This record gives sequence, C-alpha cells and structure tokens, in this order.
Amino acid sequence: MVVAKQVTSKANRAADRSHLFDERFLKTLEHLHMVSRKVFAGNLRAERRTRKVGSGIEFADHRTYARGDDFRYIDWNLYGRLDKLLLRLFEEEEDLHIYILIDVSDSMSIGQPLPKLHYAMQVGAALTYVGLANLDRVSIIPFGDRLTDRLPLSRGKNRIFRVFDFLQKCPIGGKTELAECMKDFVTQNKRRGLAVVISDFYDPTGFEQGINTLRYYKFEPFVLQVYDLREASPKLHGDLALVDCETGDTREVTVSKSLLEAYEREHEKYCKELEAYCTKYALPFFRTHTSIPFDELVLRIFRSGGFLR
Amino acid sequence: MKFLGPIGLGTWSYVAIGAALLAVTAYIIKMRRRRFEVPFSQLWKRVLEQKDANALWKQLKRLISLLFVLAILGLVLFAALDPTLGAVDRKARSVVILLDASASMKAMDGNDKGTQSRIDAAKAKAKRLVDGMGGGDLAMVMRVDGQATPMSRFTSDAPMLDKIIDGIAASDTPADLPRALGAAADALRDRPNPLVVIVSDGAFPQTQLGQVTWTPDPKNLAAIDLSGIDVRFVPVGKRSDNVGIIAFNVRRYIANKAAYEVFIEIQNFGQEPAHRELTLYNGQTAVDTRQLDLAPGQHIRQIYEKIPGGEDNRLRAALRPLDVAGGSDPFALDDTAYALLPARKKQKVLMVTQDNLFLEGALLVYDNIEPFKVSPTEYAAKPSISDGMDVVVFDDYTPDVLPSASLIMFHPTGPTSPIAVRPGEMMDPAFTEVDANHPVMRWVTLADVHTDKTEVFLPDPKKGETTLAYSVTDSIIAAKRDGKRKIVAFGFSLPAAGRDSATDLPMKVAFPMLLVNALDWFAGDQADLLTTYETGRRERVPLDGAGAANQADLTAPDGAVTKTPVIDGLATFYASRVGYYDLAAKAPDGKPIASMTLAANLASPTESDIAPSATLTLAGKKLEAPEAFAITHSQKLWIYLVLLALGLIVLEWVTYHRRITV
Repeated sequence: MVVAKQVTSKANRAADRSHLFDERFLKTLEHLHMVSRKVFAGNLRAERRTRKVGSGIEFADHRTYARGDDFRYIDWNLYGRLDKLLLRLFEEEEDLHIYILIDVSDSMSIGQPLPKLHYAMQVGAALTYVGLANLDRVSIIPFGDRLTDRLPLSRGKNRIFRVFDFLQKCPIGGKTELAECMKDFVTQNKRRGLAVVISDFYDPTGFEQGINTLRYYKFEPFVLQVYDLREASPKLHGDLALVDCETGDTREVTVSKSLLEAYEREHEKYCKELEAYCTKYALPFFRTHTSIPFDELVLRIFRSGGFLR
Repeated sequence: MKFLGPIGLGTWSYVAIGAALLAVTAYIIKMRRRRFEVPFSQLWKRVLEQKDANALWKQLKRLISLLFVLAILGLVLFAALDPTLGAVDRKARSVVILLDASASMKAMDGNDKGTQSRIDAAKAKAKRLVDGMGGGDLAMVMRVDGQATPMSRFTSDAPMLDKIIDGIAASDTPADLPRALGAAADALRDRPNPLVVIVSDGAFPQTQLGQVTWTPDPKNLAAIDLSGIDVRFVPVGKRSDNVGIIAFNVRRYIANKAAYEVFIEIQNFGQEPAHRELTLYNGQTAVDTRQLDLAPGQHIRQIYEKIPGGEDNRLRAALRPLDVAGGSDPFALDDTAYALLPARKKQKVLMVTQDNLFLEGALLVYDNIEPFKVSPTEYAAKPSISDGMDVVVFDDYTPDVLPSASLIMFHPTGPTSPIAVRPGEMMDPAFTEVDANHPVMRWVTLADVHTDKTEVFLPDPKKGETTLAYSVTDSIIAAKRDGKRKIVAFGFSLPAAGRDSATDLPMKVAFPMLLVNALDWFAGDQADLLTTYETGRRERVPLDGAGAANQADLTAPDGAVTKTPVIDGLATFYASRVGYYDLAAKAPDGKPIASMTLAANLASPTESDIAPSATLTLAGKKLEAPEAFAITHSQKLWIYLVLLALGLIVLEWVTYHRRITV
C-alpha cells in the first residue's frame, strides 16, 4: 500500500530524533542565552520575584502589627514618629517553575522539510535551556491523548543534556486531547508556574477547555502554535481521499481551486480564533510555521517579554 | 439525409447502446481516489459542509461532464454512418465528362464581353457539374482534342476533379469526337447508370457526328456503340464570325529551285462581310501584303508565283483584322499559318564514264548540279577524287571500293556491287512493273523501254534495299538507303561505243526524269515531301539518315521536347500546337545523325468554322442538357461531426482541468 508506506515513512521520520540536538544546536542555544542576557539586562536575574510577601530582603509594604507577629519586623522608627506599631513586609523570593508542554500527537509528525514535532522540540529545548540557565526550575511534559512521560523539574544549565536525552527518547504519537491532558497536568503539578504549551492545537474537541484548565488552576499559560506552510496552503488537485492522520477519518473530495481557497481561509480562521482567545485572556500567544528558524522564534519570544519578566 | 457508411444501422445501434452504457457505467462506478494524509480533517469537514450547500450544482456539473462524453460518443458514432446531405435518392451515376479542348475552344467568346475563352467557360460549366454531383456519383474527366485523354479515374472527389479541370488547356488540334466517345463508352462499360456529358462548342463535322450508333449493330463495327449510355450536351460559345487561313502551302519549281510558289486559302465563316490584311513573311521579312474583302462564306485562294528565294526558309502568312466594321476576329489561332521551303542545294556530281554523251547530256541540262567527269581508269588510279562529291555516277564500271557518296550505277557487276546481283545475265527483259511510290520513279514510265540484257539484283529489305523496276519478278532497277548514303542501281548499261543497242532508255523522256528524281532523292529534296502538316494528325515523316536511330527528339514551338519513335527511317510526328517543330535523331553514342524542321498548321475548315451549336445531334438523336445536375447537391457531414467531437473533447479537457466540471 502506497499510503501505508507514506504514513510509515512520516512516522519514522518524526521518530528519528537523533540529529535534533547536535553541536550546532548547542552553539545556537548558547548564543540565545547571551542575547537574552543583553536584551533583558536588569530584568533577568537569577531569581524571580513573586507577589508573595515573605522573608525576602526587599521592602514591600507596611501593615499594622497584630498579636503573634515577629517583633523583629516592627518598624521602630515609625513607632517613634507616629506612635503606631507597624510591621515591615518584605517580598519573598522564590524559584520560577516553568512547564514546557510539548504536543507529540500524530498531527505533529507532519511537516516538510521538518516535522512540526522536531521544530516544537527544538523550541522547547531552547526555552528550557534559557530557563535552566536562569536558575529556574524547568520541567518538560510531552502530551498527546495523555501525558506520556515527564522530565522532572530541573535546575541549572548543566541539566540540558538530560533534557536532550529525554526529548529524543520520549514516546510520541496518538491523538490530540488537550483538555484531558491539561486536566491531568494541573492535577499532577501543584506548584504553579509558567505553562508553555507548544502544539498545533488541532484538537477536534477544541483548544479552549485545555487552556482554560491551566488558567483556572492559576498557571500562566504561554501559547505557542506551530504549523506547517503546506498544511496552511496545501498543493493538492484532483480527486482525493483525505485521511486524518490521527483519527483515520476519510473524506472524499475533488480539490478545486475554489475549495483550496476555502480551506486556506478556514485554516486562517481557526488560527485567528486561537489568537483571539489568547488575546481575550491576555495570554502570550505566538504562531509560527516550521520554515522560521527556531532561534529566530525564540528571540522573538524574548523580545515580546512574555516568556520571562 | 442519407447514411452511406459501411456500418449497417442495426450494428450501429448495438455499438451506440454499448458505448453509451459504458460511458454511463464509468460515471456511476466509484472513482478510485488517491489517498492523502492531512493533520486535521476537521478543517476540511467545515469547508466541505459549506460546499455541500452547492451540492445540486455539483451534481449538475457531474451530469454536464457525462453529457459531454455522451455527446462526443454520439458525434463520433454518427460520423461513422457517413451522413450525407443532398439529393442522393436516385441511383448513383457513372459520369464521363468530355471536355472539348480542341482549337475552336480558344475562341474568345466565352462571355458577352469577349474576355473569356470558350475553354474557360467550358471549364466553369464542367466544374459546376462536378460540384453538383450526388454523393454516390463517380465521375471521370476526359480531355477531347485530336486525342482523347482521360485526366482522372472515376472518383467522387469533387475538389480533385475541379483541380484537374482547372489544369486543362485547349490545344491547337481539331477535336476527334468519335475517338472520345469510344473511349468514354469503353470506360463506362459495365458501370451502373452510365452518363456522358459533352461540354463543347459543338463545332464538329457531320461525318464525326454520324459515327455512333444507339443500338448494338454487329454489322457496323466502325460505329461507336452508345447503347445504354445517356449522352448529354452542355454548349458553350456565342460567336461565329471568323476568318481563317485554311490552307498554306509552298513548293519550289522543279526547273528553277531558286524560286518558289505559295498557295494560301482563306475563308470567311461568318455571316457578315469581313475585311482583313494578309501579309506573307519570309523569316521576319514581309514579302507581300494585300487587303482582302470577303463576302459571307467566301473562299479566297491566293497564289504567289515565282517568289525569289530568301535567306530564311521559314514562311509565315498572317491575317490581321482591319479596324473597320467586320474587322474583329474572336479566333486568332487560324489567323497565322506556317510553312517551310524545301532546302535548296547544288550537288557536286562526279561522272565516271568513257565519254557517254547520253549521260553527260542528260546531267548537263540540270542546273542544280555541278558536274565533274573522270574515266574509269583515272578513277581507279585515284579513288580519292570522289572525296567531297555528293553523288558519283558509275557508268558500266564497278570499282573495288565504293565511295561514301550517293551513287547512281549502271550495270554494276561482281561482288562489289552495292546491291547483290544474281550470277548470269537476263536477256531481253521487259519492264513489267515499277514502284510508282518511290520518289525516283515519280512521273516515270518505262513500259516501252527496250534493253537487250541486264543484271538481276537480289535486294535485301533488311539492308534497306528495294526494287524500283521489275521484269516480271526479277529486280532490274533497285535502290538502297545505307545511312545517309543512297544508291540507285540499273542492271543494264547505257548505250556506248560498240554497244549502241544496249538500251533505248536515253531516248525516252523517262531517262532525264529518272536522273533528276534520283538526284533530288539524294538531296532530300523531294517534290512530294511535305514539310507542312496539320495539327492533330499522326504522320510518319521520313527523317533522312535516321536509319540507325529508333527514336528522335521533337521540339515543339513552345520549347517542350518529347521523344517520338523512328521506325525504318520514318519518324512519327504529331503536332498539338501550330508553329515550327524541330525533329532530331541521335546515334546511340549521342551524336546527331539527322534533323529536320517541320511546320504545323490548324488548316482545318471544320475547326475554323467556330459557329457554336446550341444543340448537338448524334446519329439522329438530339442530346439534352444534363438538367439533373443543376439541382443535385450533396454534402458530406462526417468531417464536421468529427471536428465538433474534437472541439467538445478539448472543451471537456479544459473545463475538467480548470476544475469547472468536477
């Protein structure tokens, strides 16, 4: 069967990830790290401030003393001037938790010349490296119709090779069930943080529920949509049987110019829906196709300031 | 409309139904599609749901595509039936169109303005006939002039026949209608519905019109059997007022070959008086001009006597219409005639004789020769004395080696005799028979000639030897043509010293006549040798010295060169144009060995009488016009159907690939 061969060949191509993280990739990552430090000098520190008031060293506010408070934090100078017992509050500093959620479903195996999955993994790895280098805690969670595996929270850029190894070996395939996967994710990860979702968002049940789950559980969703130019503007003609690579649904169509144009419009509309949704809820959103070099994308993300603050 | 295709309607129906079913089935069966993997079929689903709103149009487009295919199939199958529009209800005919291309068809009265020739008018009418042929009709075009020439086979290809008709030109020869009718009858034998259409001016002599029969007549084998053949006539031509030269001859005087005599006969064929100027040319020089006034139908014979010979031997007579009433002439071909003067040459004659006064006296009175004389002894001592001589006369002497000149020999003997002689002499021969057709024996009577004895020749026809005079069955005067050399041998001696009673021939008028005839024959200057011939007649012309050749080149007045056969020194001559012809024979090695010039004239009162005939009566039957052709029209449709099918295929291809009908 010719089709079977085509499918197998696509799956094999996506499964072969040995060349993804070579020496050149490493150099690119280092370059990205240097650039990120220049671009965000002063903002990027090893720590990330939270709104939590706690035992930090940077003054945040005063509040009225209550019984039981630590006497050490009473501002005696103000007591002398105002004759009121006010307590000094400090911002508590803590590590940022970054969760890189990479879609590894079958639809991500499609793409020319680079499968979307490989592109997503390279972007994910780059973001992970920057996070590790900033002494944040980073975890990578591949997902399809379920969470197939996970790279536990790690810190320090020397962990990057473990990241590579994980991405090269993690299982891939299956349908896209974003809602179910995000539900599992928030259940398994009690510590809130930045949730970078890298996917094509081709979920027959829709993307809203999955992202909403992240929002509801106080994660900060960061939406990164990856698509292939050929799937946005397919070069098809004639009588075809279109097979969904995830569900296996077959649709017989006779592709005409007008049909292709309608499809392109529909694809664009779908992407715009995702973008509108993110805009509505002030979620960082990036859309990219696989022809844009991943390092260029990562820089764009940095410049937007949405990824690290 | 009729269907003339090779497929029967029954078979065609089966094929049509089968093909239509195949086409419909091909549209009904599910198309095997190429599979293509997409990442998210939901998007396609949404698009297709929108498109399904146009499902009816989609179905319609598919139906249009099916209708396209069915229409293409229908057109091709319909074309296979060879549908033909037109009146093909009657039975198909076999038609021979006899297109008159004789000389009279050159008359410029094809239309009222005089700007179209009869042949052009005839061609137009013939093409109209061809274009009006029915679908099953087959036609052949035959050109009729002095010969009958089929120009095509039987065919229904009207454009090809039109092209053939366009290529026909009138010749300068009279028409030979019986020959053409015979050829047409032969061609139509055993063919269905035979029809002959004569497109002509009808200017045929009555003798020709009577040479046919409408019922089979076993006793009259010479008549053309037209039984069962429908013969029709399409007339052309309007005018009859022609004046033409119907005879033009020239001859030299026998006694004075330096002068010549010309005879011209002119006739007015019109119904009105005519006025012409007749000019006689010698080469390019006008010799005589005179004005002629001819009453209707009048013959005029003009004789020009004792005209001194000019430099050129080509004579031309030309009639010019005078610029007065009755001065126009629609037929120019017979206004000019050509003739050739026989060549004139003074021959050197060497007499080898012992002072024979009879011989010398007879030759001395002939002023067209230059005589020389030697004795046999002198000749034997120096035979080269004959070099440069045109003729050598041996009087009772036979040399060991014969010279290359032409010879007159009296009493040749021995093995060196040019014509073999029988051993022993014949005593008291009587001249019982002479070959009066031979030029040497012209006007010669030998009945009362006495000879005491004679040699008897044994002429061999294979060597060109012939007997001129017999004594019962024995040859006593013989002639021989040996290449260019000619020999006349007498078996007996002339009277001489000691032999006074050998013969009394020198006392007769026949003797100088014999000598002059022999010398003229040697010179090729025969009084009865014609150099002017009629066009359209096949003649056999003696070509001096062409004995070794079997063919000669005939150069026509227009420069066209054709090969003509030469048999026994006689060349076949057929002139299709008026003017001068050059006839030349070559040896196998390519060396010219003989040549002559001939003149050809129309010289046919029948052809010059160009009065057209609105009707034609053949052997008592008046020929009708072929009115059936006038309303017959047919048109083959298959080519248009195939072109339409091709157009639909292209349209279907374009609409399919532009995704219009898919």
